Amino acid sequence: MGFLIAVATIPGLIIGILCGLVPLGIGLRYQQLSWGIVGLVLCALAGFSFSLIGGFILLVLTTAVVISYAFVDREDPFTSRASIEAVNFEESQLEFLMRQMAALGRTIRQSVRALIRNKAGFLGFLGILFFVGISVFGPLFVEYDGDTHVERLQPGARTLFQKPSSEFILGLDWKGRDIFSHMVHGGQNLIITSIEAGLIATLVAVVVGAMAAMIGGVVDQILSAIANFILTIPQFPLLLVLASILSFSNRFYLALLFAALSWPALMRAVRAQVLSLRERDYVQAAVALDLGLPHIIIREVLPNLMSYIVVNMIFSIRSAMYYIVGLVFLGLVPLEEPDWGVMIYVGRQQGAIFNSDGASMILSPVIAIALFQLSLILFTRSLEEVFNPRLRSGL
Amino acid sequence: MGVIPFRRTDQPVSQPSLWSLSKKLLRAVYRSYIFRVTVQGILTLWVVTTCTFYMIRKMPNNPIEVKIDEFQTKQNLTYEEARSKVAGLFDYDPDAPFIEQYTDYMGNLVQGDLGRSITTGRTPVSQQIAKYLPWTLFAVGLGLLISFVIGMIVGAAMAYWRGTVFDNVMTAFASISYGIPDFVIAFMILLIGGIQLELFQVGDYIGSVDPEIKAGLNPEYIRSLLQHVLLPVTTYVLASVGGWMLTMKSSTISTLGEDYITVAHARGLSQRRILFGYVGRNAMLPLMTRLAISVGFVLSGSIIIEYIFIYPGLGKYLFEMTGKRDYTTIQGIFLVTSAAVVISNILADLLYGVLDPRVRVGSK
Repeated sequence: MGFLIAVATIPGLIIGILCGLVPLGIGLRYQQLSWGIVGLVLCALAGFSFSLIGGFILLVLTTAVVISYAFVDREDPFTSRASIEAVNFEESQLEFLMRQMAALGRTIRQSVRALIRNKAGFLGFLGILFFVGISVFGPLFVEYDGDTHVERLQPGARTLFQKPSSEFILGLDWKGRDIFSHMVHGGQNLIITSIEAGLIATLVAVVVGAMAAMIGGVVDQILSAIANFILTIPQFPLLLVLASILSFSNRFYLALLFAALSWPALMRAVRAQVLSLRERDYVQAAVALDLGLPHIIIREVLPNLMSYIVVNMIFSIRSAMYYIVGLVFLGLVPLEEPDWGVMIYVGRQQGAIFNSDGASMILSPVIAIALFQLSLILFTRSLEEVFNPRLRSGL
Repeated sequence: MGVIPFRRTDQPVSQPSLWSLSKKLLRAVYRSYIFRVTVQGILTLWVVTTCTFYMIRKMPNNPIEVKIDEFQTKQNLTYEEARSKVAGLFDYDPDAPFIEQYTDYMGNLVQGDLGRSITTGRTPVSQQIAKYLPWTLFAVGLGLLISFVIGMIVGAAMAYWRGTVFDNVMTAFASISYGIPDFVIAFMILLIGGIQLELFQVGDYIGSVDPEIKAGLNPEYIRSLLQHVLLPVTTYVLASVGGWMLTMKSSTISTLGEDYITVAHARGLSQRRILFGYVGRNAMLPLMTRLAISVGFVLSGSIIIEYIFIYPGLGKYLFEMTGKRDYTTIQGIFLVTSAAVVISNILADLLYGVLDPRVRVGSK
């Protein structure tokens, strides 16, 4: 398994609810009960589906939002309008934390507003949420149908394939199994592996690209040479050969392999961006003020790269999914049912293409993949606005 | 008292020797862009060849084992029987030391010999590639050309009439085309168009050209050829036209905002002249580079699409040969496709200099 776990579990739900108690408590304390309840629900849901990671991330985010409603910046000495003698510059750790959280919360509120404002992007967001929701919560309601059902053979039919009917809304596959249950259970592995692959690839690209641009010299030349080299070899044929060398018992290695092959394109772009950002006045000013490398990177350079990085991360998730389905479809990855890619592969092997009764076995996963990828593409529009405030000046 | 060395002053201090001259020449050659890029390209190809050479021999099984397996299952032979049968078929010794195999291969390669295919009756690899390459070139090249031209025209129109219904509809279409992977389009064409709606007979459109029809410029052959290339090309076009449209649109929009366009309007130039002479030519610049780069990837084509449509191209052939572990053929295809990428990248750089004089001036 990789580092992402997305199964609805009871311990996860408990973790989520425990996490949700924090925003709820703070909401009660500052008379922001409604936002506290929203925080509790979101935390519980995130914990339910992604256990500790999801619960903790949403704990921070929702608490920040609740605090941002309760906390008014009047006490901030730097924005205070009182005379200089009257202002108290001493700030306790707690007050500092509160101020930071409130700032984070305001950013989140603006981001959410930007997210909802762009209709196409919001549609994409809902699409992603839909697929993630189905693969996380679907298994709770739909039982996996893994056995052959010869008894479902229709009189007069030569195969167990069946067209969609009211009983089986997506029809039956070549073993007479319910395709709908395969759709519900089969997306999770694919989606999670793609997301992991995209995350790793982006992380490597950003770190290596920033390093090459910041250090320069021989390091830059070597890293760029490696990137150019990998870009020269056609990716999919290479993946084909590599996939047969390393037979993947674990999908996570597939994600790693994808990341190893796909970081160069983004790395070159990040390097170019950092090189140009390094010369900007505000970065030079920060250098002159001796604010330190962490501050310069985190506060000056990264925010300007953020929209670019996030959008490219989505693209890389998308192409990871393409490659993974491609490999499964060519039969180069150990077949593990249930999986959308395996459905396409097996469906083709069992002649679902030429059998109009069996078309659903291939069409269902194909359409699901198409819709998921389309949602990703649409979602990038919102992400651009969320991470690039210049695009939402009209807000 | 030391002796003061006597120096004759009627001769120049140092004559430019042959050595320093050749050094100057070498430096000039080294500085020249084309030379540097060529050396880099050759180096890259050498590294690619070496890496793939190592990698494909690391794949589990070798061609002989695969064949033995095949004989065992197909003809119900014991391992020993199959082994003795296979041993005579192949001109490949799996026990030869790796270094020896490598030096042999590289020695042949330097002389322009890609070696002989291991599994397909010792035919030269170059001949095999020459057999499958035209199919891929034809399908992907045609698809690329069509989608590029359509993308150019529609993208420019979208930018020119931006904000209208046409723009919105086309942007939605482009997003869908860009967002959906190509094999999804292929399956939809086959399953929805072919099987569900029965718009065409699937069997007539997939696979390769009927071997009974004589190859050549007779109408029958051309018709059959176009029929079999139709579905892959349609898929390529549908999958890639959106990307070209969106790129052309944003490129055109940024060109429309340039000062020289405003000046051209102020000079009272005709609408048509501004569109074609000023906007179009400049907006196309970044796309030409991308076109040159994608030409390099034409060869690697799309394995998946060729596999779905059973189209006899290089990608499907590579996939088959990977299954058979035909080392020399895999190697040859990798080399050819990487060379295409390297060359097209160099061409893209050069082309940009030719098309855009500003870059040339700036680089000096």
